[in-house]
Amino acid sequence: MLRITGGKVYDPANEIDGQIKDICIDDHGQIVDSVDGGRTIDATGMIIFPGGVDVHTHVAGGAMNFARAMTPEDHRRTQAFIRTKNRRSGLGGMAPTTFATGYLYAGMGFTTVNEAAVPVLSARHTHEELADIPIVDKTTLTLMANNEIMMDQMEAGEYERAKNVVAWYIWAAKSYGVKAVNPGGVAAWKWGADAKQLSSPIAGYNTLTPGKIVTMLATICDDLGLPHPMHLHCNNLGAPGNISTTLDTLKHLEGHRAHIAHSQYHAYGGDGWDTMCSATAQLAEYFNTHPNITTDAGAVLFGDTVTITADGPWQHLLYKLTGRKWGNLDVENETGCGIVPYTYRPSNLVNAVQWASGLELMLLIKNPWQVFLSTDHPNGGCFWRYPEIIQLLMCADFRKECIAKLPDKIKGRITLPEIDREYTLYEVATSMSAGPARALGLTQKGNLGVGCDADIVIYEEEDDVARMFSHPRYVIKAGEIVIEDGDIKETPEGREFLVKPNYAPETHEFMRPLFEDCYTMQFDNYPVELERIENPVMQPLKLEK
Amino acid sequence: MYWGGNPAECHPRHFTKYTLMQKSKFLPRGRKDRTMVLVDIRETKSAKASDIFLQVRPGKDFELITILRAMIKEQHVGDEQIAETGMTREVLDDLVHRMKSCKFGCFFFGMGLSMTRGKHMNSAALLTLAAEMNAFTKFVAMPMRGHGNVTGADVIMRWQTGYPFGITFNRGYPRYNPGEFSTVDVLVRGDCDAAFIIGADPGATMPQPAIEHLKRIPTICLDPHVTHTSNLARVHITTAPQGIAAPGTAYRMDELPLPLKPALKSPYPSDEEVVRRINAAIAEKPFWLAEGSQPQMITNQV
Repeated sequence: MLRITGGKVYDPANEIDGQIKDICIDDHGQIVDSVDGGRTIDATGMIIFPGGVDVHTHVAGGAMNFARAMTPEDHRRTQAFIRTKNRRSGLGGMAPTTFATGYLYAGMGFTTVNEAAVPVLSARHTHEELADIPIVDKTTLTLMANNEIMMDQMEAGEYERAKNVVAWYIWAAKSYGVKAVNPGGVAAWKWGADAKQLSSPIAGYNTLTPGKIVTMLATICDDLGLPHPMHLHCNNLGAPGNISTTLDTLKHLEGHRAHIAHSQYHAYGGDGWDTMCSATAQLAEYFNTHPNITTDAGAVLFGDTVTITADGPWQHLLYKLTGRKWGNLDVENETGCGIVPYTYRPSNLVNAVQWASGLELMLLIKNPWQVFLSTDHPNGGCFWRYPEIIQLLMCADFRKECIAKLPDKIKGRITLPEIDREYTLYEVATSMSAGPARALGLTQKGNLGVGCDADIVIYEEEDDVARMFSHPRYVIKAGEIVIEDGDIKETPEGREFLVKPNYAPETHEFMRPLFEDCYTMQFDNYPVELERIENPVMQPLKLEK
Repeated sequence: MYWGGNPAECHPRHFTKYTLMQKSKFLPRGRKDRTMVLVDIRETKSAKASDIFLQVRPGKDFELITILRAMIKEQHVGDEQIAETGMTREVLDDLVHRMKSCKFGCFFFGMGLSMTRGKHMNSAALLTLAAEMNAFTKFVAMPMRGHGNVTGADVIMRWQTGYPFGITFNRGYPRYNPGEFSTVDVLVRGDCDAAFIIGADPGATMPQPAIEHLKRIPTICLDPHVTHTSNLARVHITTAPQGIAAPGTAYRMDELPLPLKPALKSPYPSDEEVVRRINAAIAEKPFWLAEGSQPQMITNQV
C-alpha cells in the first residue's frame, strides 16, 4: 500500500491539470480511493504524471537483434549498466540490450511500450526478448500489409477470408494488433521493386494496389474490434515530395480509425533532395480536421543512431545514399526488414528539415490527444533522448537557439521559426502518456483514476525541463517503487497485453494447405504457444453488442 | 550460389527443404526453375547437385570475389588476374550475366570461405558483393553455420549483452573482443579459475594448452553423454538431450526459432532445470560484491 500526498497531479484522462491531490495505491498495484497504513510519499513541490506510454518503438525482435550485432562500435562507447544484486548488466546506446532497455525506459518514467513491428515467423523470438525487458509492460503489433496469404485473399476480393486470416495471424503471433508497413512495397522488394503509388498494382500481383490494402486492412481492424486501430507506416517513406502519397493514403482511410506512425517521415515537399522542404502544415491541417486519426511524431534528433524498418526498399536506398553498413532480412512471404546505421547532422539540409518537421507536427497538430511523443526509436533518435524533445516543445526560446544553429539555406523550407506555441505540462502528460494509452486502447494505462494500474512518475519540479524529465524522483510500476532518487530499486517483470480476435473456426484448416505451400516450417509449430508469453493479460475487443 | 560449403554432406536437408527442390508460387517447377552454382576448391558431393561448378584455386576466394565485384560494375580486369583464381573470362562473363539477370539471388557461404586464408575478410567481401548486386537485381547472402543451435546461442547473447560471442563480464558489464575474450583464448592464457560447460565438448576440439587448463581448474560439465570434457571435469551432471527428451527452442541458420517437442521421457533433468537450480542456490548466498562498492552505471566506458 502506498499514498502519495501533496504533489501537483497532471492526469489528462481525468482532466486534472496541476491540482494538488492525494493518490492511493492498494496491494494489487491499482489506484484506489483510500488506503489504511503503508508508506506515504510526501510529494510536496513535485509533479505527478501517469507513467509514460510509448506508442511506437522498436525494442525487441529479429531486426533489433540484428542491429545490435551490427553496431558493436556503439556498444563499446555507450553507457553501461553494471550488475548489482537485483539488476542484470547491460548496455545502452543506439540499440540497447534487453535489460538496459527496461532500466532506461523506467529511468525516465515510461512504464508501457508498444513494440511496433513483429513478423509472425519471429514472434516466438520477440516474446522471449520482451520477457527479458524488465519493469515495463508491453504490447506487440503484427506486420500484415505484405503478407502474401492475406494479399492473395485481397486480390481475389475475398474480404471475409482476408479478415479471418488477419485475425488468425494476430492470435498465432500472440500480438495486440496490426502494423502495416509500406503496404505492398515490402512484398515488391522481393522483386527488387517498391510500391510508391497507391493506385499502381503491386509487383507479383495483377490488380491489388497499396491503396486497396490500406482500406481493407483498416476495415478489418475496425471490424475485428481491435483495441488499437491499424498502425500504418505509409508508402514512400522519407522521399522528398511524399506529402502527396501521405495525403492520398489518408483519403483511403476516410471513415476508419487509424494510427499513422512516425508522420515526420511522411511530410516532405519538394521534388528532390536539393529542394526538399517541410510540408507539415498540410499534414497537420488534415489531422486537425480528422479526429479519427492519431499519429506519433517520429521526431529526429541530431546524432548517431541506427535505422531499423520493415521498409526494405527504403533501407536499400539509405545504404546507397550513405555507403554505410546495410543489413537486409526477407521474412519469407510475410515481410522484410532493413538496418542501416545513420548520423543526423545539423549541417545537412535534409536532416535539418527532418529535425524541424518532427517538432512542427507536434506543435501544429492542435489536439495533444492526436499526436504523441516518439522518435520511432531508434530510427529518428534513441528513446532515452525523449526529454530533449520535451524541452524543445516546452521552451520556444530554446527552440529558437537551436534553429539559429541550422544552415542559412534552411530559411523558407521549414515553418518552425514562425511557431510560438509552447507545450504545457498538461499537454506533455497527454502526449507522452494519456494520449498514446487511449490510442492503444489500454484503458488501464495513462490514467490516474480509481481502478487503473498504478504506473506513476514523480518529478522534482525544476526549470531545466530536460533534466527534470530525464531524472524522475520516483517511478512507481504497478504500485511498486522501482526508481527512487535516481537508483533502480526493484526490477519486477513486466506484463504483455494480448487480444484474441474472433475468426471462423475453419480458418485454421483453411490456412494449413496455403501455409504448407509457401512456408519453410511446420504448420503446427508456427503459432506461438500462450505459455511462451510471460505474464499475459487478455485485453477485451471493442465489439458493438 | 553456394561458396565454400558442402551442403550435400554437411546440411543434407538444405537442398530439399529450402533451396533447390521446393515447388512454390513463383517457381512452380521447383528445381527446374532454379540455377545452382557451387564455388569450392574441390569437387565435393554437392557439385553433383549444381548446374555450374567453379573450382577456385585454394586461398583465392577473396581475389575471385573482388574480380566479380569489378566485373558486375564493368570495370577492367586483366586476364592474368582471372587466371590466378583458376577461372577463365568466359566462365566469369557467363556467371556475371546469370547473376545480373536472375530474379532473386542468394549466396550461402560456409567455412570453406570464412575459415580459410583471408577469413572474415572473405566473408566481408562476399557480403559486399551481395549488397552491390542489389543495384541490378535482388540478392542476399547467408552463412551456413555448423553445430546444432549455435545460432540460438548467438541470438540470446546479442539480446542480453549486445554481442554474439567473445564476451567478458569481468568489469561487471559486457565487453567484446574475439581473440581475447573467446573461450579458447581465456583458457589458453589461464585467465579463468573455474569453467562451466554446457552443450559443447571443448575437451575434444580445443588446443592442448586450453585442455590442460580445464584439467587444472574446477570444470563443471552438463551433457547427456560421457564426453572428452566430462572425463576431465571435476563434476559431470548428466542431463536430458535437448529436442529428444527435453523441450526448448532451437534457432535455424536464418535465426528462425523452432520449438523443440520431446519425443521421449528422460530420468535426467534438462539443462535448463539444472542451471535454474544452481542459480537459485547462488541467490541464497551473500552477493559477492559489498553493497555500494561499485557504481550502478557508467556513462562512458574507458
